[in-house]
Amino acid sequence: MTTAGRLRRRRTATRVVRQFAHSRPGVIGLTVLGIFAVVALAAPLIAPIEQLNPVLSRASGNPQWGRPGEFLPLGTDHLRRSVWAQFVWGSRVSLFVGLAATILTMAIGSTMGIVSGFVGGTTDRALMRVTEWFLVIPFLPLAIVLASILGRSIWNVIFVIGVTSWPATARLVRAQVLTVKQRLFVDRARSLGAGSWHLISRHVLPNVSGLILANATLAVPISILTETTLAFLGLGDPSSASWGKTLEEAFVNGAITRNAWWYFLPAGLGILAVVLAFTMIGRTLEEIADPRLGRRP
Amino acid sequence: MRRSISMAMLVLMMVIGPVAGAHDDDEGDTLSLRVGLTQPWTTLNVTAGFTVSEFEIWTLQYEGLTSRAADDFEIIPGLAESWEASDDGLTYTYTLREGLRWSDGEPLTADDIAWTINTSRDQGWTNHISATQNLDAVVVDDRTLQVTSSVPDPKLPEVGAYILPRHIWEEHATDGEAIVGYEALDGVGSGPFVIAEYAQGQFLRMAANDNYWDGRATLDEIVFRIFTNADAMVAALQQGQIDAAHNVPSSSVTTLEGDENIEVVAGLQGGFDEIALNGGEAEGQPHPALLDIEVRKAINHAIDKEAIIEDVWAGQGEPATTISVSADPKWIPDIPESEQFTFDPDRANQILDDAGYVDTDGDGIREMPGGGEPLVLRHAVNSDSTTAQSIADLYVGYLAAIGMRVELSAYDEGQLFDLIVNGDYDSFAWGWVPFVDPDPMLSYFTEAELGNWNDANWFDSRYDELYLEQNQELDEDRRIEIIHEMLRIFYDSAVYIPIAYTPDIQAYRVDRFDGWIRQPADIGPVMFSMSSPSYHALTPVGGGLAGDTSNLLLIVGGGALVIVAGLAVMVSRRKKTADERE
Amino acid sequence: MNLASRQATVDAVPDPPTGGGRARFVGKRAVGALITLGFVLVFNFFLFRVVQSDPVANMFRGRNIPAERLEQLRTEFGIDQPLPTQFVLYLRETSRLNLGISYQSRRPVWQEIQTRMPATVLLVGTSAILSALIGTAAGVAAAWRRNSKTDYSITSSTMVFYSMPDFWLGMLLLMVFAVSLGWFPVGGLVEAGSSATGLERMLSQIHHLVLPAATLTLAYLGEYALVTRSSLLDVMGEDYLTVARAKGLRDTVVRNRHAVPNALLPVVTLAAINFGFVLSGAIAVEALFSWPGLGKATADAIRGPDLPMLQGLFLVFSTAVIIFNLAADIAYTFLDPRVDRT
Repeated sequence: MTTAGRLRRRRTATRVVRQFAHSRPGVIGLTVLGIFAVVALAAPLIAPIEQLNPVLSRASGNPQWGRPGEFLPLGTDHLRRSVWAQFVWGSRVSLFVGLAATILTMAIGSTMGIVSGFVGGTTDRALMRVTEWFLVIPFLPLAIVLASILGRSIWNVIFVIGVTSWPATARLVRAQVLTVKQRLFVDRARSLGAGSWHLISRHVLPNVSGLILANATLAVPISILTETTLAFLGLGDPSSASWGKTLEEAFVNGAITRNAWWYFLPAGLGILAVVLAFTMIGRTLEEIADPRLGRRP
Repeated sequence: MRRSISMAMLVLMMVIGPVAGAHDDDEGDTLSLRVGLTQPWTTLNVTAGFTVSEFEIWTLQYEGLTSRAADDFEIIPGLAESWEASDDGLTYTYTLREGLRWSDGEPLTADDIAWTINTSRDQGWTNHISATQNLDAVVVDDRTLQVTSSVPDPKLPEVGAYILPRHIWEEHATDGEAIVGYEALDGVGSGPFVIAEYAQGQFLRMAANDNYWDGRATLDEIVFRIFTNADAMVAALQQGQIDAAHNVPSSSVTTLEGDENIEVVAGLQGGFDEIALNGGEAEGQPHPALLDIEVRKAINHAIDKEAIIEDVWAGQGEPATTISVSADPKWIPDIPESEQFTFDPDRANQILDDAGYVDTDGDGIREMPGGGEPLVLRHAVNSDSTTAQSIADLYVGYLAAIGMRVELSAYDEGQLFDLIVNGDYDSFAWGWVPFVDPDPMLSYFTEAELGNWNDANWFDSRYDELYLEQNQELDEDRRIEIIHEMLRIFYDSAVYIPIAYTPDIQAYRVDRFDGWIRQPADIGPVMFSMSSPSYHALTPVGGGLAGDTSNLLLIVGGGALVIVAGLAVMVSRRKKTADERE
Repeated sequence: MNLASRQATVDAVPDPPTGGGRARFVGKRAVGALITLGFVLVFNFFLFRVVQSDPVANMFRGRNIPAERLEQLRTEFGIDQPLPTQFVLYLRETSRLNLGISYQSRRPVWQEIQTRMPATVLLVGTSAILSALIGTAAGVAAAWRRNSKTDYSITSSTMVFYSMPDFWLGMLLLMVFAVSLGWFPVGGLVEAGSSATGLERMLSQIHHLVLPAATLTLAYLGEYALVTRSSLLDVMGEDYLTVARAKGLRDTVVRNRHAVPNALLPVVTLAAINFGFVLSGAIAVEALFSWPGLGKATADAIRGPDLPMLQGLFLVFSTAVIIFNLAADIAYTFLDPRVDRT
């Protein structure tokens, strides 16, 4: 049983990798994401954090509102800071918030979905009712209200996104758990007297993990975009400048009337690229996890 | 068919868009001044509101008993043409101008004024009470009024109270609660302009008052328009959709100065911005180092005010020494440069070294004397302010240069206010705009205001004594002396770091109106000043206005509609024939 | 922001009704909607009472106010009552459409919402309709020429619009078309203080509407294009279309008469649900363009914060979603041939 299971899993893994490698959007998405991951991790090397200090920027004679030609590579902002450095360090914050919020979303959503689908009965009905309620509550206003109540910090933003975006995942996972439950081998395992935890960890989780992964990949862009919007509306963390925070500062400090496109173009393009990359990867994974979707692009 | 209609709509938009954008909406023969604002009105009721944009409306609608000269804030006749003080200085007798009328034609008499003063005192109206609390007004005859103060009051003969028409307001003023609920859109006033139309959150139209004592203004109306976004307002000024703008963001100044049709005015009227350190007298817990005046002095020396002004306010503003307490600069004491906290990081480091705050563990951050708690301060960023984030970023940089770390947290104004009252912070940046009389601003730093307006969380018993003294000092020179001493005490405590006397930046189109007046002369703003004398004085440039574009708009719009209708018919017919062919 | 609608996609198609007639199905859904509304009320109340801020003190910063007056105002705003009392009061007053007084404007919240509703409905309605129509058309075109250059460019360009923050797109349009070219006004609903009426006023409004509506339309249409495309691809694989083609019917006929109507079912459902969400979806874009609607009211209410206003807006947004969800369910019973119609 164990050997067979492991073998099956390894075969699945090989199949996923092979299928993924054959999907052009998947490969492009992964490449783009890889580049951003390198940029984020290597931030201290490619753009020393001192470049974000306006006092030092001034001391080293940076121009104010320097155009990309005046100050390489991407110009400067109203406080003479390098826009490139803000872009590089902003990628860290945006990616971190996106991933952390997604992990929280998945943790809540999967737990709800698995418990609901596996336990069934009254628990299921109650949990699904709550999920439905949360689904109708408009997501962005709720996030705004929570963020303005809890205060403006990066952890609060993560928390807010996590607790507002789990219901879709919960429903998806529940549906999948129900399908898995129908399968014969679960019944057989249960008849052999296995405990619930054993069932969940050995049979349910491995079978829904592919879907959770695909769903998670598609949830990251939503988290990143939500963070961006919250930051733009003035609910961002003042000490860690995400891409969204950069957009807000550019807007507030008059980059638009000044035609200072170099201040808000990089951050927006960064968001666009990362969101597209995650979406492409997510769709590819989704197709692999659920072959019925195979006919989609 | 449905699709062809939606396409038609798109075409319509594309056709109208570019053409209409090049023109303004002028209103035929009405001579209209259009002013852009970024701060919406919360109410137009003078007993309820408190924002700058509201005061501007009341200043225009309600003439004061006395007024203030445009040049130097000298008290000049308003509704009263003359007045006389009793020997003890407690009683003033005012003679009103002849034939005063409200804008609705009702006579304006001493009774309206006495009613306003006495009722506001009894009912505690927000904007009147500080001026009228000790006053009692008696009608002698229609044109004669006697006002008596129960204590010596240096503010007289000015009574800082908007005089309201009794025949309109009396029925609403049953008590101090009820009157706040009145919408006050009656548009009955005594000033040069009165409210004519109000669209919540969008605009407010004021019409010239035919019964104004100094004659009807040349302008027919003023339209104040709200912009949520200052950038949008600046662009509207450049495109000629508005004629003047208030609260222009400093970041747009360079852009606007490059436009030959636009004049930018950086009006100083006492406003200043500060970084406030926690003086530690409130309940909460500031960093222990801040309780040491040497540390506060060091922080003062670490800040480059000129750099902040240049980068955050685009050079608009003067480096501040001490706080300012009035729109009139005479109340600010001269502090010799040798006694000022000038920008000098070396000296700041020296002060900290001498006081025993050294970096014992080699992490670049100083610790409390004898080791222990590192100097890591919490700075609160006001998220409702557009400049607070930039100031905070610079503050972090300056304190890093003297071995202190600053951690930022953002709060909206409500939360920040609570935080300050509770004393749970180390510093924040905010600003004040004082009135003409220095008394209110001075009162904020007394012990009595701890937990209320005293956001320095600091007090000094000598300062409090002097405060009471100036409050009743009728000799102005002596009062100035006392106030100078108070401000020196406050400055030397190093608890407030005044960054800049920040101007109210305004801009107007020079191709539209002439006659803008700065108050006070040369340095003040042209609008939103103490008595806003510009509006009544404005005359159109060249006596005329740009051509009426409404017809053009109609022609273009009509043409577009015809084209679109034609297209729609064509598309639907083609579709039909295609269907029939099948 | 179209995030909310993105989330809704997952649940675009309601579970098909099991047994019973349409009336019973609709009735059940209506009861469900009412229960949900009750939950929203409870949630709404407690969410906002978690905050213990003193807005009254904040409102008067910088003014000389006697302490008694502050106390009076606290009583006036009802923030000195114990929680359970406040909850009962809240339910009673909400049922009378009394949503409290805005801290910022001191006017009734419901009145504020009513004043601002038309602007949002105009903007969001225009862009929701345009994006649904254009998006669906693009999706049909892409699916019909699957894997062609047309398909590739439609799919990728809609994906790009779908993936960018909508307000960032708005910033770009604002900079190019309003600030640089000066073709469109930079914000607002209509020329300030304009006394124009009739056609002239309408034209001015359309002129102001173009940029924000274009922003939202571009941001929303991606979802419609993608859903339509995959739905149509599903349908096109089905046998009866092959039969129809075999009968010699021309491609356009097969497409317009047979494939598209069937493929539109999920799109219509998606649209109905989205309409509920988009009411709250334009917060950042309305703020960007100073569009005086509910979204801008939300952005403004963050400052302060104006809790009664946020609470009222939140209730309105949630109610809109519930109503449109119900509408989607009802529409579904009419459109889906599989629903039992006895």
